[in-house]
Amino acid sequence: MSDIIEVRDLTRKFSVRRSPDKIAVDGISFDVKEGEIFGLLGPNGAGKTTTIKMLSTLLYPSSGSAKVLGYDITDERTVMDLRRRINVVSGGERGLYYRLTARQNLKFFSDLYGIPKNERDIRCDELLELVGLTRASDIRVEDFSRGMKQRLHIARALVNDPEVLYLDEPTIGLDPEISRSIRDMIRKLSDSGKTIILTTHYMYEAEELCDRMVILSQGKVVGRGTVGKIKDMVSDTSVVHILTDKDPAEALKTLESDSDITGIMTCMVGGRYDTRFSCVSGTPDPHAHEEAFRPFGIRTIGLDEPTLEDAYIRLTGGERE
Amino acid sequence: MNARAVTAGFKQQAIQFFADPQWIIPSLISPFLMTMVMIFISSGGTAIEGPVVLQAVLGGGVLGMWASSLFSSSSSVSFDRINGTFEPMLGSGTRIIYVLAGRSLWSTLIGLMNAFIVFAIAELMFGTGLSLDRPFLFFLTVLMTMLSLSTVGLLISSLFVLTRKGGTIATVLEYPLYVFSGALIPISLLPGWMHPISYVLGPSWGVDAMKYAALPVHEGLMGMSIVADIAICMLLSIVMIVISYFVMLYVERKVLEYGTATRY
Repeated sequence: MSDIIEVRDLTRKFSVRRSPDKIAVDGISFDVKEGEIFGLLGPNGAGKTTTIKMLSTLLYPSSGSAKVLGYDITDERTVMDLRRRINVVSGGERGLYYRLTARQNLKFFSDLYGIPKNERDIRCDELLELVGLTRASDIRVEDFSRGMKQRLHIARALVNDPEVLYLDEPTIGLDPEISRSIRDMIRKLSDSGKTIILTTHYMYEAEELCDRMVILSQGKVVGRGTVGKIKDMVSDTSVVHILTDKDPAEALKTLESDSDITGIMTCMVGGRYDTRFSCVSGTPDPHAHEEAFRPFGIRTIGLDEPTLEDAYIRLTGGERE
Repeated sequence: MNARAVTAGFKQQAIQFFADPQWIIPSLISPFLMTMVMIFISSGGTAIEGPVVLQAVLGGGVLGMWASSLFSSSSSVSFDRINGTFEPMLGSGTRIIYVLAGRSLWSTLIGLMNAFIVFAIAELMFGTGLSLDRPFLFFLTVLMTMLSLSTVGLLISSLFVLTRKGGTIATVLEYPLYVFSGALIPISLLPGWMHPISYVLGPSWGVDAMKYAALPVHEGLMGMSIVADIAICMLLSIVMIVISYFVMLYVERKVLEYGTATRY
């Protein structure tokens, strides 16, 4: 498969009043192959959205270059041709005309892309069906739930049948069921041959969907490759895994004060508390922390292979959102 | 020229317009109030009749048309910024100027409605005895003036892409056009240094043509005939469209450079 996107030393700075320029994207380089789902991972402020905006021609880079479908993203002579072959889905509530119905929104954007009228009407129906909004097609968007709006965002981004689709945190703020349906939709779109660039900070989503990815932190690429390769990048690290009956909040305070410990995560699994963390200096001894966790009812304690999330936290330096 | 985008902008503006009840304010209430003020000022507290009052009514009509055009053009891009639809529009592979042109055409239509509401108010409520010398010509000059006002609105909406303070600037810009176009007071009464500004505005010539068509006796702007008025108005409107196009190209570039497309 050929490279459909080529990014070289792409940098974007923003002027901030009475402050030094803020570097949102700092000399990143990567390639995306035709038909793959490529992930841009990173915490908030890592430069994911800025990268998407540059690659979708909505923002000029400060330096560096990028080619999408063979077009230079800054070439004004060809930018309109490129725009007709790509599209962007942004997460969140904005980006639609609330006082227009779902169908009117799709027709409006189809007209901007110059889709022939007969084709437009058929495609709008197909897209509404694809995103499960056929029954709501003539309802104003202002009466839509967040999940419905997000599905309409996806339909809007497909009106021009783009070859490259940028999905900027498409499942942010959605409930698990809707998120799953959107992930299924993304997989279907990929199966239909579209190249998809997905930004997310949900690791399970990246693991489930992405063929390859880059991890961004403070505007720089700190990791790249397949899920397996990224995990390999932190293979020198084992992760302590402790399952407790009660919330080990007090024990976590002890861990947080230890500068050698990184990537602390606790989540509830099947009514129990699953805590994971790793050590900067090498393989940790899980039993060194047994005492601190004992009051919370330890069920299991041991070492695990790092997950993508562990690798992500290690690579991004445990940046919190 | 992208007719599909122009039509899309027109339709979208029409749907948004009627979906938002506040359209009544610039389209009905404002012209109504303006007409009352103009008529009472012009009549000087005496009987409401004669060419002076007719001139006031014409002025009120232009005020209504301009209010509509300015309201539409200033809110157009600001609305898209707030709504988050500016970026998808910008990224759609069509020049935004075409969408704005479609919206301006819609505001033309509404502006015409405003003007005729003003004339109807003057006739029905105040009994001004509004009699037109050449009704068909008058209608054409009103249409031309409105189109000309819309081209000024188009330029303004292009410039508003660069700013987040569209509403504030629109308020500031509302009155100068009333003065410079001769809608409020004859241009001949303005200080000499203001005249060049009036002469480069298409609507000034449109207003002059309207007065020619409506008033039994009228001394044309710079002594021009109605035919010259129409020609100059159309020429200046075309120039305004061309300027708007290039301003929009420049503004789009600046938006991409500054990264301000989503700021509001």
